Amino acid sequence: MGNLTESNVITGVPGSERFVQDFEKGVLQSTLKISVSQLNFYYGPRQVLFDVSLNIADRKITALIGPSGCGKSTFLRTLNRLHETIHGTRMEGEVLLDGQNILELDVVRVRRRVGMVFQKSNPFPKSIFENVAYGLKINKMGGRGLIQEIVEKSLHRAALWEEVKDHIHKSAYSLSGGQQQRLCIARALAVDPEVLLLDEPCSALDPIATAKIEDLLMDLASTCTIVIVTHNMQQAARVADHTGFFLLGKLIEFNKTDIIFKNPARKETEDYITGRFG
Amino acid sequence: MNFRRFTALLACLGVGIIVVIVAFLAVYSWPAVRLNGWGFLFDNSWDLGQLYGNPITVHGQQILPGAHYGILFLIVGTLLSTLIALAIAVPVGVGAALFLAEGMPPFLRSWLSFFVELLAAVPSVVFGLWGYVVVIPFLGQRLFPFMAKWFGFIPFFGGSTGSGYGLLTAGFVLALMIVPLIAATLRDALVSQPAALREAAVALGASRFETMRTVLLPATRRVLIGSSILATGRALGETMAVLMVSGNALNYLPHNIYTPISTMASFIVSQLDSALQDPTGMAVRSLAEVALVLCMISIAVNGLARLLLYYEGRQRASVA
Ligand SMILES: Nc1ncnc2c1ncn2[C@@H]1O[C@H](COP(=O)(O)OP(=O)(O)O)[C@@H](O)[C@H]1O
Ligand SMILES: [Mg+2]
Repeated sequence: MGNLTESNVITGVPGSERFVQDFEKGVLQSTLKISVSQLNFYYGPRQVLFDVSLNIADRKITALIGPSGCGKSTFLRTLNRLHETIHGTRMEGEVLLDGQNILELDVVRVRRRVGMVFQKSNPFPKSIFENVAYGLKINKMGGRGLIQEIVEKSLHRAALWEEVKDHIHKSAYSLSGGQQQRLCIARALAVDPEVLLLDEPCSALDPIATAKIEDLLMDLASTCTIVIVTHNMQQAARVADHTGFFLLGKLIEFNKTDIIFKNPARKETEDYITGRFG
Repeated sequence: MNFRRFTALLACLGVGIIVVIVAFLAVYSWPAVRLNGWGFLFDNSWDLGQLYGNPITVHGQQILPGAHYGILFLIVGTLLSTLIALAIAVPVGVGAALFLAEGMPPFLRSWLSFFVELLAAVPSVVFGLWGYVVVIPFLGQRLFPFMAKWFGFIPFFGGSTGSGYGLLTAGFVLALMIVPLIAATLRDALVSQPAALREAAVALGASRFETMRTVLLPATRRVLIGSSILATGRALGETMAVLMVSGNALNYLPHNIYTPISTMASFIVSQLDSALQDPTGMAVRSLAEVALVLCMISIAVNGLARLLLYYEGRQRASVA
């Protein structure tokens, strides 16, 4: 974990003095968790990410916004090498996790350290308990007693324990949509990831369930680095410390959240957040 | 007639046909059932008696002198060959399904799947002929002696290996016929599992193989059970292929996996000709009783499997 020094300052609009200064004031105390540099990404012959460089601060919430199809999900997947499961993809550039190139790390370890929650909640057709215990069992972490303990702790962390404690051996499909999504968060948390990636986790949820998850994310940020893709700009404004704006596969602007929303440096960003397109 | 009534009618027709067939078998074989008693199931001798002797009367039925009908060897042969076929075909079918669904680039996938489905459409007599010409010499002269030599310590694997016609060969050929059935059905179920499930597992650090074992296979277990039931039905009732490779044993029980056997379905075909020589008709009625027993076994196996699915479903439901 390197400090944000001159050499690896969080990228923004090249040449924007104001950006660098503001940014450094905000996050110099913070350390760097993930550093992405010059990332290009291709589905077969088609390039969908162009020269994306972005630094993600440790134990902060980083939001990624932008119109759909601009490559946010694709970007997120490169952070835990999930893109490798899709046939015919190619990635150029570098993703460093705590300063180490994730391509040089063991892929299973990368995915354990960098957890993921998907847009549509996707619990396994198993019990609530088995869902949360899954990652532990797959990674052979802990015996019976320990698993029991971690499952409970993870459900607590995902603010779901009180609602399910009396029936954790029931099917995960018996839960409501919002509960299922929190279950997926608990499942991701069980293996104690250092980073949690969330791809539009609230897009299928009602406002109350959404609010619960937002509260949860803000609590989690004290122990975990969070990267969230969201369609909902109010959500980014509410929860995120930093926000990046993607457009057509490029990172247009990246800065502290209130600067992005109140005083963006680029016209495209302003157009997007004021709803002029997207 | 609207569509619902039409389909209801078709469904009733299906039930009706089964009832009519079983009822016919029961009525037609009734004199044999009365004559043979329980000994039919538990005796091990099928003897048409003296074909040119004068019929005698036993229990009010006319039969040939010396005639005796007991089919234990058929029941054993049928059940064992089906069991062996399943023991081979289920793991192979699961493996093939996983390979077809998960283990290859998409363009190869659809081609190979097509071939597997084609395999399911091959008439059984073709399998039989192939077994007869190609498989039996190989098994009888090479594989079986080899197996008896090196695995003879396993019960029923040792002893004389015969010529290649027998229980294991029948199980083998049956397995070949039902593997495509299991593989094609399970493959479809695996392919239709949501990609999100796979991703969830992979994102938690599961390898491809672990994803299959811990998520995809459990999620498709009911399909596997269902297709295995269908396959069992097919194996129990298979006639031609088994007839050609089983060795057509008469009146003796297998002592190891290489022993010649007969199955009920193939026995009916192979014996019909001689049975028709019986002027009392009792031999044909007894063959009908064989068919009746086969029907009952099939229905029982199906029922048992349904029960299994039902309880499995209930377990899920209580989890749900
Ligand atoms: N599996 C895939 N194969 C080919 N193209 C894809 C695939 N997934 C996404 N794309 C394309 O990549 C681009 C970026 O998609 P995505 O990352 O999902 O955007 P976002 O999440 O911002 O909506 C889109 O144009 C999309 O059509
Ligand atoms: Mg997306």
